[in-house]
Amino acid sequence: MLHVPHTPIGALLARRRPGYGLEQPFYTSQEIFDLDVEAIFGRYWIFVGVEADVPEPGDCMVVDVGTTSVLIVRDDDGNVGALHNVCRHRGARIVHEYKGTVGNLVCRYHQWTYGLDGKLLFAEHMAPDFDTTCHGLKRVHLKSLEGLLFICLSENPPGDFDVMAAAMLPYLVPHDLRNTKVAYEEDLIEEGNWKITMENNRECYHCSVNHPELTVPLFAYGFGFSPEKLDEAGREQAHRYECLLDDSHTAWEAEGFPSRTLEHLDDMDTGYRTQRLPLDGDGEAHTLDTKRACKKLLGNITNPKLGALHFWTQPNSWHHFMADHAVTFSVLPLTPDRTLLRTKWLVHKDAVEGVDYDVENLKAVWSATNRQDGELVGFQQSGVKSPAYEPGPYSPYTEGLVDAFANWYVSRLAAQIDG
Amino acid sequence: MSELNGRVGGDPLISLVTSVPKVWDPEEDDVLVCRQVRVETHDVKTFLFSAREPRLFRFKPGQFLTLDLEINGATIQRCYTISSSPARPHLVSITVKRVPGGPVSNWLHDTMAPGKEIRAVGPLGEFTAFDHPAPKYLFLSGGSGITPLMSMARAFHDLSEPRDIVFVHAARTPADIIFRTELDLMARNMPGFKVVHVVEGEGGEPGWAGLRGRLSKEMLAVVAPDFAERTVFTCGPSPFMAAVRAILGASGYEMARYHEESFNFEELSPADVADIAEAQVAAGETPAADAAPAVPTFRVEFRKSGKVIECAADRFVLDAARLAGMRLPSSCTKGLCGTCKSKLLEGKVDMQHQGGIRQREIDAGMALLCCAKPLTDLVVDR
Repeated sequence: MLHVPHTPIGALLARRRPGYGLEQPFYTSQEIFDLDVEAIFGRYWIFVGVEADVPEPGDCMVVDVGTTSVLIVRDDDGNVGALHNVCRHRGARIVHEYKGTVGNLVCRYHQWTYGLDGKLLFAEHMAPDFDTTCHGLKRVHLKSLEGLLFICLSENPPGDFDVMAAAMLPYLVPHDLRNTKVAYEEDLIEEGNWKITMENNRECYHCSVNHPELTVPLFAYGFGFSPEKLDEAGREQAHRYECLLDDSHTAWEAEGFPSRTLEHLDDMDTGYRTQRLPLDGDGEAHTLDTKRACKKLLGNITNPKLGALHFWTQPNSWHHFMADHAVTFSVLPLTPDRTLLRTKWLVHKDAVEGVDYDVENLKAVWSATNRQDGELVGFQQSGVKSPAYEPGPYSPYTEGLVDAFANWYVSRLAAQIDG
Repeated sequence: MSELNGRVGGDPLISLVTSVPKVWDPEEDDVLVCRQVRVETHDVKTFLFSAREPRLFRFKPGQFLTLDLEINGATIQRCYTISSSPARPHLVSITVKRVPGGPVSNWLHDTMAPGKEIRAVGPLGEFTAFDHPAPKYLFLSGGSGITPLMSMARAFHDLSEPRDIVFVHAARTPADIIFRTELDLMARNMPGFKVVHVVEGEGGEPGWAGLRGRLSKEMLAVVAPDFAERTVFTCGPSPFMAAVRAILGASGYEMARYHEESFNFEELSPADVADIAEAQVAAGETPAADAAPAVPTFRVEFRKSGKVIECAADRFVLDAARLAGMRLPSSCTKGLCGTCKSKLLEGKVDMQHQGGIRQREIDAGMALLCCAKPLTDLVVDR
């Protein structure tokens, strides 16, 4: 008879070794996956899209988080709100397509009709004492950080979102995301646990060998390096980068573009990190020629050489804001070993495709990088399933931010299961 | 005489006039029995109703009843203002003008007869002088919009209430004046009651000595020079009421004392609104020739089903399609749910929706048939 050992999740969390990867069940267990969906994606602020996804009143977007389906809707006053996509009659899903335009929200089953604020406006054939005011769509907490949409499925969302938002506001305002449009978006299903997708993003240890496109504009050394092990050429490049980083920050901040690092990846419930990073070559954008991809710059920006403002949030997003365009990434868990990576490229809302920008050029670097990362995530996922897998040590120079992600995850999950 | 005296127990009606019946309550019994039909003009009839058992009707003059009618297998609801006086509470009457093509008015005219029963609920409505007491009133009525004002005037008359009332009634011709002799009688009985008829043409009455033309500021200044001091009640077709508002507005009249019969459209379904539209048309006079319909009718072609129907300009397309036996997907009939959203391949509509459709969809040629009235012939992709 086969003995199946079972380690309680609390014990697994308690014995996690800082500076090391997570144990196998965190990447493979259905039980832990279900807990992640409930206790991480169900209780913390998660990034789901941008205001430009629903540019006009009546525009609606469906975001599925685990078994929860959320409607992101722009109302007639121009405000964006979030509602549960569940009819209060017999529970049918109301909106089925990813994005669309609605008049009111109407359940196709029995035509219960809700306003964009979720109020039940019409329900035929109900009893005389039926109270429509008690049967509106349930609301979901939503915050728009300068056009970046975060939802929290919990009744009591973490209050430190506003602390993060206040700190991030000056960094984001110049890019004027509310006046952008989604020029292109791409869903990629990665064959790995959502945490592997996140961990992969939190380091550039793998970049120089695996991302020939990304390392054209991006300095791999921007995310750390081991000073002793670098060869002569490497040291020179690292030094050049250090000087460039410092000079750039000084210059950008003088121009009114906050650039210096803010890092609260594991000391806040709404963990985040930001930094404006210099780009190589012409230094304008994440493109193969390092020049801007869109002639029309964002907001009132006139200097195209603003590097790329990086913004990471725990548990599920990262973003790059440049002078001419922005790229947002949202990570949503599907199964223990499948993850949705949703990428959106934003340009000024008045920019004209084919005139101001070319979509192929705009998305070239990150489309390729995502595919490469997806492959790497798949490699890791198939490897960690092996009985031979044991958590390895992170590089203290290049994987500190992976460790910060794992720390955030472990401590938040522990807090939820204790509470 | 001897026959009457000899009847044991007397006429059963004696109990009706010597006892006090209960008040009519449509919650208990919504059936009304037609007791008499009176011919008022060539195309206007008054239908008098009471309950099956003796009942008293309590209402404020100016209120309406909602009739629930079964016509050719379809249930149709229509609101009609009560024309009778609440001071004569044993009966209640409505006064209806034939509308060419109007399913309800024609059905009433052609089939309603003493002994027939209908269902009704009410009374309802806020349009009543009795909630706005004033020493001096100006009643302005157009066509069969006279009914609520007649009910008010009759009530003041029956109660011997000495109010100063100028009762202006606009009709197409003298032959179209409703309650003409009764109004004259009330004027004779009540010193403060002045009746003024305004006709557009003298029709078959070449000796007409009254006012002619359409109601104007000058005309009003002649018939009621002190109109600024009067509390005004108006009922008639929409253009008539719009004209009155324009005249009063231009004269600096204090509109807080202006009242007109208007249903709360927001609480009514488009079908109800269509009904009211019919009732308003019924209330109105049009300068068109007798044979011409009161409102234009448009051809509506349904491309996929191949059906072609007629739809009056004051009727919602969905409603007309339903009356024609079509079963189109629809639910709220209020312009809310969008279930009846359809592509208009040709033609234009007047649409008053409540959020069931986006401007972008309208711009793309979509329409909600439940709240769209034709402005032209239409081709619908259904």
